[in-house]
Amino acid sequence: MIEFLSKKIDWIDIEYWFYIFNDLSLLYIIVPFFVVELIRYAFLKRLNKDLVLDSIANVITFGAFLIIEITLGILAITKVYFWIHHHFSLPHLELNLTTIIACIILADFAYYWEHRMMHRIGIGWATHTVHHSSPHFNMSVAYRFGPFDAILPIAFSLPLVMLGFDPILVLLSEVFVQVFQTLLHTEIIGKLTKPVEYIFNTPSHHRVHHGSNRQYWDKNYAGIFIIWDRLLGTFEPEVEKVVYGISEPLNSVNPVKVFFHGIARFFRKLKQINGIKNKLLAFIKPPDWMPKNDTIYESK
Amino acid sequence: MKNSTLLFRSLLVIVFIAGGAHLVTYASQNSPQNFNSYDDTTSVNSAEKTSQYTINNETDYIVGKWIVKYNEKEFKGSILYEIQKEGNKFNAYTVSYLDKVGHSEKAKKTKTLSITSFDGYKGKGIYEIEYEGEIYDVDCTIDMVDENTFQLSYNYYEYNGFETWKKQ
Ligand SMILES: [Zn+2]
Repeated sequence: MIEFLSKKIDWIDIEYWFYIFNDLSLLYIIVPFFVVELIRYAFLKRLNKDLVLDSIANVITFGAFLIIEITLGILAITKVYFWIHHHFSLPHLELNLTTIIACIILADFAYYWEHRMMHRIGIGWATHTVHHSSPHFNMSVAYRFGPFDAILPIAFSLPLVMLGFDPILVLLSEVFVQVFQTLLHTEIIGKLTKPVEYIFNTPSHHRVHHGSNRQYWDKNYAGIFIIWDRLLGTFEPEVEKVVYGISEPLNSVNPVKVFFHGIARFFRKLKQINGIKNKLLAFIKPPDWMPKNDTIYESK
Repeated sequence: MKNSTLLFRSLLVIVFIAGGAHLVTYASQNSPQNFNSYDDTTSVNSAEKTSQYTINNETDYIVGKWIVKYNEKEFKGSILYEIQKEGNKFNAYTVSYLDKVGHSEKAKKTKTLSITSFDGYKGKGIYEIEYEGEIYDVDCTIDMVDENTFQLSYNYYEYNGFETWKKQ
């Protein structure tokens, strides 16, 4: 058993398996699934101009996000990862089945915390609100990203590199977590069997996360495993019908507006706040925070 | 939920999973079949295993000075390395740099290569490469061409490299 778990795996095989899941899945699951969703919308007479334009806006924000991600990746992120890995890391872990599985589980755990932070601090919500601002819920929404969505999570993935995991493995695992989640953005799949719903994040759990119903706010942050929410007190089951979107609706399918509206709202809020100290606090305080005597701002 | 509970539970998850990964890696690296198959077949071995390291005529000829020529954008010239036996592993340290015209300059002694397994013909190890100012540890393989030459090749994600080491 231990030999099987600790058998060294070559990079070429790791690249191959991650390529099949992380990259090719777009062709063999995501696009076909989205087509099925469109057919369903047509059948339910919900396929209208707004939905189509919303989906297009989603894909455009993904393009913008990707440009930021790739530029930063080449300029800095991978270098910082390797530098930290070389100078501030526990003994380096070799590549075997155990380390790969451990890396994916920890990348998922890091995702839980990074996602929770994105909801609970001002600057995090300024960028992540983009992902939540669609009134629809389908696979294209998974690609709706805000401008800083590639930057803030680094603080949570660097500790993995410090634990001895290979930087490239960490990056591939993070993409794996994202791709897994993409598949959860759908209304087609109801609840799955109890054990699956208990352990894994499912479309049902993720619909709750996208809900603007009050009891669904800031719940179900999980990526792959819902157990993190159960363990850390943020789990909420899907009971009431979910109303998608944010409490202060965006009402726009303009990709530029979609991409920047969170940042724009955040700057408007900063303008209303008096004093440098309070302005700085707004970055790290919860999104609905306002210094006393000021009015309550948008929450979710 | 209290912040201290969140912190405690999170630390527990990290320690448990990262610890498990380190334990399995540690156990596999210290299992005997991972290092030097010749060790177990030579008769002198068991007696000498208690000493600091085993003398092994099949593999120890790799100890000594080796020179590698580079003809790359960042560095054209040669580097002299010294392979030393430490415990049951071989490590290569930089000794000096030689530029194109033959000027030599003493190098800071840094470990650049550690050979983790070697049977006299083939070996595996970890090689330190410098790329755009950053240092990366990559897995490498060693293939002896003859007693005085070996080929070191590495493949890391999308980076591949190949060097010829010549005995001095
Ligand atoms: Zn979210």
